[in-house]
Amino acid sequence: MPELSFLPHFPVATHPLLLFGLLLIAGVAGGEFAHRLLRLPRITGYVLTGMLFGPGGLGLLTEDLLAQSWIFVDIALGLVLFEVGRRLHLRWLIEERYLLATGMLESALSFAAVYGALLYFDVHPLHAAVAAAIGVSSSPAVVMLVSREMRAEGQLTERALHLVAINSVVAFTLTTMFLSWMHREYRADWGTVILHPLYMLFGSLVLGYIACAFALLLARWLGKSAERQVVMLLGVVVFTIGAAHMFKLSVLLALLVLGLMVRNLDTRHYVMSVDMGRIGQLFFVVLFVVTGARLALPQLAAGGLLGLVFILARFVGKSLGVLILTPFSGVRPGTAGLLCIALTPMSGLALALVQETTHVYPAFGAELAAIMMSAVMVLELIGPLAVQLALKLSHESHDEEAP
Amino acid sequence: MTDELDFKASSRCSIGVEIELQILNARDYNLARDAADLLALLEKQALPGAIKPEITESMIELNTSVHQSYAGLAAELEVVRTAVAEAARRLNVRIAGGGSHPFHLWSERRIYPTERFQHLLKVYGYLAKQFTVFGQHVHLGCADGDEALYLTHALARYVPHFIALSASSPFQQAEDTAYQSSRLNTVSAFPLSGQVPFVLEWREFVAYFRKMRRYGVVESMKDFYWDIRPKPEYGTVEIRVFDTPLTVERAARIAAYAQSIASYLVSERPVAPSSEVYLLYNYNRFQACRYGLQATVVDVDGGASVVLRDQILQTLRTVRGHAQRLGNVEALEALTSDVEAGYSDADWLRSKYKALGSMNDVAREQSTLWMGS
Repeated sequence: MPELSFLPHFPVATHPLLLFGLLLIAGVAGGEFAHRLLRLPRITGYVLTGMLFGPGGLGLLTEDLLAQSWIFVDIALGLVLFEVGRRLHLRWLIEERYLLATGMLESALSFAAVYGALLYFDVHPLHAAVAAAIGVSSSPAVVMLVSREMRAEGQLTERALHLVAINSVVAFTLTTMFLSWMHREYRADWGTVILHPLYMLFGSLVLGYIACAFALLLARWLGKSAERQVVMLLGVVVFTIGAAHMFKLSVLLALLVLGLMVRNLDTRHYVMSVDMGRIGQLFFVVLFVVTGARLALPQLAAGGLLGLVFILARFVGKSLGVLILTPFSGVRPGTAGLLCIALTPMSGLALALVQETTHVYPAFGAELAAIMMSAVMVLELIGPLAVQLALKLSHESHDEEAP
Repeated sequence: MTDELDFKASSRCSIGVEIELQILNARDYNLARDAADLLALLEKQALPGAIKPEITESMIELNTSVHQSYAGLAAELEVVRTAVAEAARRLNVRIAGGGSHPFHLWSERRIYPTERFQHLLKVYGYLAKQFTVFGQHVHLGCADGDEALYLTHALARYVPHFIALSASSPFQQAEDTAYQSSRLNTVSAFPLSGQVPFVLEWREFVAYFRKMRRYGVVESMKDFYWDIRPKPEYGTVEIRVFDTPLTVERAARIAAYAQSIASYLVSERPVAPSSEVYLLYNYNRFQACRYGLQATVVDVDGGASVVLRDQILQTLRTVRGHAQRLGNVEALEALTSDVEAGYSDADWLRSKYKALGSMNDVAREQSTLWMGS
């Protein structure tokens, strides 16, 4: 009898790729269910799938697997930020100055509102500041991907994306500053508080610039072929993500800058306006399933009232900023209100930041983390719905008209 | 309604133009959907003429006021162009001339939400969305209905000239169509396109129209998509075969050419109206669409084959006296040198595609040319 050593030994060990494939399939299926049965954005379906199969749910997606998927999550975020950056038109921001002003004002007011509200409820000032800084950002991924899914186009879509980009940069800068400050509370000196954000800001800017110059050079050499340019751009995006990690820079900022520069410095128009979305779709599904897996229902209760306060204060602050300045810009009445709704989603990045922070500073810990997690969870679920609603009401989505 | 068909007398050979324009996004230069926002922004300023929505949300239409000559028309168009370009910049959209968008897909177009346009979508289905093409209409004032009908028929022989001079739609759906003006093929698909029936007196025309309305074929004059049609409520003859030129300067010059010919026809009556013109009409029209200035057309009077470019240069010389009287000499001289050089907007677009390598680049260049930056 021959030795059948080539056969697998039972029970077979699950290969991570098998689990990963299942994660993808489950995500796509969940997105379709959400879309077809409940008319929800597919993104919400991905998040719900993650929650269902994640450690807080059925536990099929183990912590281990989630940790292994970081590479996809990183590429997904990098691609989204690159795409958002490429949507930004610097000349427009300069000429339509109320848009830039709106972005700054709504960032400032949402920070102030959340900070004030948390102080009122006796949260430690520094912790409140960190939470408020995180709350300034709207999710580039959610706004970008929902508007993509609905093939939305128009003033609301464009303005929402520009505001998201502005508040992401502000949020990032503030968060880095306060985290360094927190650093100081525990061990570091004042120099770090100033130098760390500066290093991150300028370092990411320089990295984005170098990557952009590289991309333009390659695009010029490759010529106008969509196939080649898509792969080239993906390469530059992934390269930049890696470099950002190596030099401890911000992936978010570096990729946003890369996209922005590729769009605005390419005066000879070497880079084609190719659509990275189809490649990105794979990564986007993983991103939101993993985000969902990090959420768990018990967290919702843990944050309690303060989670709700956070969400409300943030909404009020953002809305005030948008409502005060938008009437001065050249849009129809009504657009301002819809913009407020469209800025609702909070970044999945917030989640990572909170978890990272609690990990490094347990003192940040229990109370505040709970508040943030419950807020993130609520916003992660209603955010895509809010963007969908705003785009529907603005008639900028493309799928509402019968053929 | 009888009043719709009462021919409202207007100053002979006065001109006014309507120009349909493309709204592009500033990202990949595909057609955008910002007509409503753009119109709302422009409504806030006092501009001469009117600016209106068109059948899809990617178009707007400029209507000038009535002018006696080229100078006034060109000046007004320049004022409006500046204002429209400025409003577009505030909304981060681009405005372009040209008879077609180089790469938009008609299936992605959305019909502007007014009752009339929704009705057109219902009646014509996909043709309504394919009708996202951009034309210039030139109105020529007439003293009465009989004169309008004379002019309509007499202008028919110049239709190839108008097509070749304005041709600016070589691309459709990201393909080179091989036509100089592909836009008119889209118009021809409509059942009520074509030519006005050969009647010479206004009362006959009214009888024809009433009959068609009684049959339920049309409801109003708007339902006829004829190449040249009398427009009784304006007191004009409307020429509709022009592609929208790439610049407003060229649009005004071409209108001045049409005005000079109209003046020549109406005051000298050099040709007797004849239905013979229509025997060759579709052939010559096709030649002009396909080959532009290089087209070989059959001369309506002698039956000889002539190169369209030479025929146009000949006509430019013939109407020179009228151009002088109207104040159109400058415009016609500019056109003459363009025709002599063989310039056409369609060729300009093709040269951009060749040099830059993508349709997005062509659309961007189109908008840069129209907006001035």
